[in-house]
Amino acid sequence: MDKYDWLLFLHVTGAFLVIGGAVMAGIFNFAALNRERPSEIAVLFRLARVAVVAIGAGMGVTLVFGLWLVHNAGYDWGETWIVLALVLWVLSNAMGGIGGGREKQTRQLAERLAAEGDAPSQELSARLRDPMWLALSWGSGVVVIAILALMVWKPGA
Amino acid sequence: MLALVRPDSWNFPLFLHVLGAGVLVGALGATVIIATRAPALRSLLVRTIGFLVLPAWVLMRFAGQWLDSREDIPGDPSWLGVGFIVGDAGLVLLVVTALIAWRGLRHPERGWHVKAVAAISGLYLIALFVAMWAMTTKPE
Repeated sequence: MDKYDWLLFLHVTGAFLVIGGAVMAGIFNFAALNRERPSEIAVLFRLARVAVVAIGAGMGVTLVFGLWLVHNAGYDWGETWIVLALVLWVLSNAMGGIGGGREKQTRQLAERLAAEGDAPSQELSARLRDPMWLALSWGSGVVVIAILALMVWKPGA
Repeated sequence: MLALVRPDSWNFPLFLHVLGAGVLVGALGATVIIATRAPALRSLLVRTIGFLVLPAWVLMRFAGQWLDSREDIPGDPSWLGVGFIVGDAGLVLLVVTALIAWRGLRHPERGWHVKAVAAISGLYLIALFVAMWAMTTKPE
């Protein structure tokens, strides 16, 4: 095994953390959409925090070892797939970051409502179905899949 | 350096193989998290295994087979063997896990079902990590 293999292994490990974390977050968010009781929604959003940690760690690992791989393999830094992947990496982080902030507010609202009687709430329901939040959260996942496609096809290489 | 000279015809099956593996890892991770941190959510556990874990395994395994047929790898390298063993043994483990989770849904008073699901899913996640190491580094 040479250096390239190890760098690729660590880069792919990061990618699996990101994709796996996105899938986990999707499962918990989708399950929360089908719940009414704030206590149940709060539990699901607390579980989703594990996914957020996995995504954050994976994003860092993929970037560090991805850049190292580009250097090690001798790719041109201006190649289309590398530039596009970096742009999409930033976009995915930005979308996930904004969506994550709204998710935190929704979790805090669910926890407060759970402590105040745990009755279904129109406000909580509306927040869960907020089109902007849904677009940001699910959109960042789609961008991650687009990055995976770029890594496989490498257009312009 | 195989990735640097990969023919275009390998790309789509490789994409599906990696996507399936990624979804499998995420769905298994969610299974472990639910089983250990929210064991009361048994229906979510069963639905996660049935609607995501098993379909993701099918995508990973069949796309891997498709890729293998395209690559036509000479000999029987150990890294490919590890992939096949982890993939094929995984189906047995996942079907057993699904059955245990389903039984747990019907007997909520018993706690061992959820613990068994967490243990088997966690072990299979480790096995997938080993397979991923073998398939990316391709040791002799």
